[in-house]
Amino acid sequence: MAFLELTNVRKSFGQVNAVESFDLKVERGELVSFLGPSGCGKTTTLRMIAGFEMPTDGSITINGADITYVPPNKRNVGMVFQSYALFPNMTVADNIGFGLKIAKKPSSEIKKRAEEMLALIHMPGLGNRYPYQLSGGQQQRVALARALAFSPQVLLLDEPLSALDAKIRVSLRGEIHSIQQKLGITTIYVTHDQEEALSMSDRVVVMNNGHIEQIGTPFEIYNFPKTEFVAQFVGTLNTLTAEVRDAADKRLVVDGQEIKSAHALDGAQVGEKVTVSIRPERISFYGEIQKVNTMNCTVENISFLGSIVRIQVRTGANVFYMDTFNNPFLELPKIGDKIQITFSAEAVLVLRQSA
Amino acid sequence: MKKINFWAWLWIVLGAVYFFLPLYGTLDFSLREQRGVLSFLAYQNVLNDPRFRDSFTFSTLMAVATIIVGLLLIVPTAYWVHLRLPQARPIVEFITLLPFVVPAIVLVFGFIRIYSGPPLALTNSTTTTNALLMFGYMVVALPYTYRSVDAGLRAIDVRTLTEAAQSLGAGWFTILFRIIFPNLRVALLSGAFLTFAIVVGEFTLANLLNRPAFGPYMVLLGQDRAYEPAALSIMSFALTWAAIGLIQLLSRGAPEQSQLGGVH
Repeated sequence: MAFLELTNVRKSFGQVNAVESFDLKVERGELVSFLGPSGCGKTTTLRMIAGFEMPTDGSITINGADITYVPPNKRNVGMVFQSYALFPNMTVADNIGFGLKIAKKPSSEIKKRAEEMLALIHMPGLGNRYPYQLSGGQQQRVALARALAFSPQVLLLDEPLSALDAKIRVSLRGEIHSIQQKLGITTIYVTHDQEEALSMSDRVVVMNNGHIEQIGTPFEIYNFPKTEFVAQFVGTLNTLTAEVRDAADKRLVVDGQEIKSAHALDGAQVGEKVTVSIRPERISFYGEIQKVNTMNCTVENISFLGSIVRIQVRTGANVFYMDTFNNPFLELPKIGDKIQITFSAEAVLVLRQSA
Repeated sequence: MKKINFWAWLWIVLGAVYFFLPLYGTLDFSLREQRGVLSFLAYQNVLNDPRFRDSFTFSTLMAVATIIVGLLLIVPTAYWVHLRLPQARPIVEFITLLPFVVPAIVLVFGFIRIYSGPPLALTNSTTTTNALLMFGYMVVALPYTYRSVDAGLRAIDVRTLTEAAQSLGAGWFTILFRIIFPNLRVALLSGAFLTFAIVVGEFTLANLLNRPAFGPYMVLLGQDRAYEPAALSIMSFALTWAAIGLIQLLSRGAPEQSQLGGVH
């Protein structure tokens, strides 16, 4: 049996279904991210695990115990909030020790634990400061320490890095991940930032409109998206309209040019219009590399993005991007140039529509 | 050099004169009990009057009781409205404004009518009449106290702080007394001092419930003495100003309550 299990969970607010048919099994020590756009139901699901919202249907168990209707203060679930939610009237040490104080632990144990947690978050000696004397990143580290200090069964993080600037976000992301790995605590991480989800998680649950689109490892989610929504939401994706020429041989036509996919076309009929997707980084200039598919196209735009250069090309009605790594000796085409591009059959995914 | 704004200063001076001139007149008059010399005789007379001491002590105790019971009733109510019933906020605000619309005289006659006979004959004993007076004071001070608490609750992220405390195992009692009350310190003190100032000077409720409060004493003194009421007015002003000064002092020392503040 999984450590944390959500079975057929549904949550409605009046006539609106915020979450529906939500099934998830999380193993002990796993870090699972809920990824999706605003309003997709990821935070509502997290709040149901925390006990701040009650499911309309379904059940939630932790370590075999049904906690569906257990009040939040009896669940032994730690939570980190986007806005830190440190108690302004308490020092850092008091904030960290709050959960232990509620559990009526002796003050010597609380003090020792607070010091341990401060060392864990690399803030030793700052226990006497008040939250307003700390930076945003420090406040969020204290919030993490507070959520971990009372040894909860599950750690929930609700967009914990959203209020921080980009650099702090990246460094704190690594810190949260290493602390989670070190403690081996089962963690649910809610984010709308795909980079965060992909870089930290053992598995990612991609959500849209209250339901799960796909559950998989970051590698699976990125490389083998099962729905058009996942493909579009995670990473940059080119979607092209194609026509099936030979379903058995997996041949398609895009703007009069034939391409081949390595993936099954799932009973598509000849002449049927389908959507195919190709990641920009899987397309190269023909000549440098030669793969099974080649297409003629026109350069429409070139964007320099630092480590990569993104080139926008057109083939008839389809406009898409290709990415190439930047190097000081890179010879780029000019806008309006006719070029040939190449990509493998494996790079061509045929997408089904989202449910 | 920075240009002095003539019109701004003119209005400030006019405002100050309008406010301070009557106050100065009262102060000057209160010092002239002895013919031909300025003295504190009127103040001495007031302070030596046992009725002053008794009525002031009574009103102070009533004010303290009103503050404690009022805050214990208003803070959890306002907290619950913020947390769970935000849609009820306009209704609650309307109710808290009623004391501005319904005068104290109407309130006290209602009290007397309802609580002078069975089943709730509260005016039959001194203790229960005092309790009735305290609840009356609570109603009169409600618009000020509620607004102070409401402003305090708006300044903190009530919902997230509550949820954070709940996730750490805290129950409602702990959340209220360990998280909400301490973070409303300035708001509670503002409400408390405003209540104190209102209760100490209140006349109608205390007079019609026949309790020996400071307000009726001031009026009584005004009926048969000339200089002492002026001295009492100055003392009341000093007391109110001291209360306001304390609010300012304490709010200056309060820590920042911003949740997203700080240097990143």
